[in-house]
Amino acid sequence: MRPRFELAEGDRVAPGQVVFRDRARAEIAFVSPVAGVVSDIAYGPRKTLSACIVTTDDSAPGDAGGSAPGDDDPAAIRATLLERGFWPAFRTRPFGRMPAPADRPDAIFVNTAQTGPQAPDPRLILAPQTEAFHHGVTVLTRLTEGEVFVCQPPCAPLGPQNDRIRHASFSGSRAAGLASTHIDRLFPIRLGRRVWTIDVQDVAAIGHLFLTGRFHADRVISVTGPGSDQTRLIRTSPGAKIADICGPLDGPALSGDATSGKRAAFLGRFDTQITLLPPAKPTKRTWFRHAAKATHAAIPTAALDTALALDILAVPMLRALSLGDSEMAERLGCLALVEEDVATLTRRCTSGADYGALLRGVLNDLERDAP
Amino acid sequence: MIPPRSVAAVTLAQTVALVPPLAVLATTATGGFALPLFAALAFALGWEGLFALMRKRAPEAHGITTALIVVVLAPADLALWQLGFAVSLGVILGELVFGGRGFGFVSPATAALSLLVISFPQVELAQPTRDLALATVPGLVLLLVLGLISWRILVAVLVTVAVAFALRGAAFDPAALGTALAFGLVFLICDPVSAATTNAGRWVYGALAGALIIVFAGDNPITSEAVVFAALMSSVFAPLIDHLVVLAHTYQRQNRHV
Repeated sequence: MRPRFELAEGDRVAPGQVVFRDRARAEIAFVSPVAGVVSDIAYGPRKTLSACIVTTDDSAPGDAGGSAPGDDDPAAIRATLLERGFWPAFRTRPFGRMPAPADRPDAIFVNTAQTGPQAPDPRLILAPQTEAFHHGVTVLTRLTEGEVFVCQPPCAPLGPQNDRIRHASFSGSRAAGLASTHIDRLFPIRLGRRVWTIDVQDVAAIGHLFLTGRFHADRVISVTGPGSDQTRLIRTSPGAKIADICGPLDGPALSGDATSGKRAAFLGRFDTQITLLPPAKPTKRTWFRHAAKATHAAIPTAALDTALALDILAVPMLRALSLGDSEMAERLGCLALVEEDVATLTRRCTSGADYGALLRGVLNDLERDAP
Repeated sequence: MIPPRSVAAVTLAQTVALVPPLAVLATTATGGFALPLFAALAFALGWEGLFALMRKRAPEAHGITTALIVVVLAPADLALWQLGFAVSLGVILGELVFGGRGFGFVSPATAALSLLVISFPQVELAQPTRDLALATVPGLVLLLVLGLISWRILVAVLVTVAVAFALRGAAFDPAALGTALAFGLVFLICDPVSAATTNAGRWVYGALAGALIIVFAGDNPITSEAVVFAALMSSVFAPLIDHLVVLAHTYQRQNRHV
């Protein structure tokens, strides 16, 4: 994504204020989750955004807010979500991208069923903001002609009762908490179907916006892992610096869970978990270790057969991904997957390949060729 | 138990599984046991080292399992040069030309043993004894627990062979059948690299291997040669089986109604 900044380095910013927009699709705004000063803007290759750092300061006033935006007209709702920085909260399936401003999904999935180890319990998070969440789900029904699916742990329905809103319970292993699993069971991707996914806390924030007109970006995340002395829930803002949340770190930190998390300095947009790892042991880099980086084969073990939760043949899929055979990967069902779904495959495979990156390459190919 | 996460760990597990059969061989071997073992290891690891040098890769020792399997099934009176010839061909044609362990489609041990029998018609492979079959069991359990062999293939082979015996009305002796099949079934037919890689494909692959064992054995009792050639032929067909399973699965996915 290439940004066009509305603020310069050194400018003050209020929570919810637009910092930059997508240069190609100017309707999509990106807002600051906190009050502070824009202290650093870094670009990557071809003027893509690499980092935009806002240093918080307590003196800045909170969101001035304003009147609650109207929630009757679908076009107005769409414009509000775009302008108030909630568009990046959506992800499309297939391809796992931010949707285009005019895009109309055939269904929206709200993921309230994070089942990964030590993921924050959505029931606990939603308890104080039930009203906002209900309103958020109702707002989502205006974005689609199809249904809004609330995927949740087995308990009383968390969302509001409405004929456009369906509740489904999921429980079990980590895979039961992945949006791909929910979509595959309820509304599988095929024949040009487009589905959006969104996290439960973003829905609550949208509900909050439409109820009060105020921007509410706080996230509850869990800090876990062998490097943390106890698992705890923390209220923070998206994109916060991990070292600021967790204090001085002994070892590397992952943004995300232990399986699909990535080493990062900042909390990822879609992550609700930080995994702290124990300090890495210093390793000697001998010639042997250096040479051992060569590629290895994927030995088809029983652990691989069950690595993909969906009804997808794992070993043929990993071969298609390794070869970059996008046609075969599509036939095997890769459009139903995003990076987080193949994280288990990466961990279990003997080849040491990063199937998330390989999948992204194949999805890019397919997206380019898509009509 | 943690499933192995590197090819070296897979080889290590397979080597551990091969230790009891090798111990049985060491105690029962009439001729020299150390010399063929040493020669087979030297050839297998030597070629692997040479290829590593040529390709500027770190040296690996996957050939160890190839050497051990070949030594167990090679006849006791086999000349060392014949053993070296078979191991060399198996290791090079079975995996090194494809890029190493896991990249080929035939188990190098299967390739070595079948090329040995094809090249020297007078050579007869060693027939497994009851002790050898029993010594295979700990390795079988280890490999099953680690997920390195598929129970589907085991069941499919055994059921096919048993059904064929029943249809033919021949005297059916489970103990004799187990003795003849155990070692080759676990270490050749079930080899994870050369077997089918989809669960449906594993049933077909196992059934094919079982049927081929019966065909190759003919009216005689099951021999090591029959098992080795059944392993060779079925692993040649394994990619085709997988391809058909993928086609069927794709068709099924496209016609799903949700």
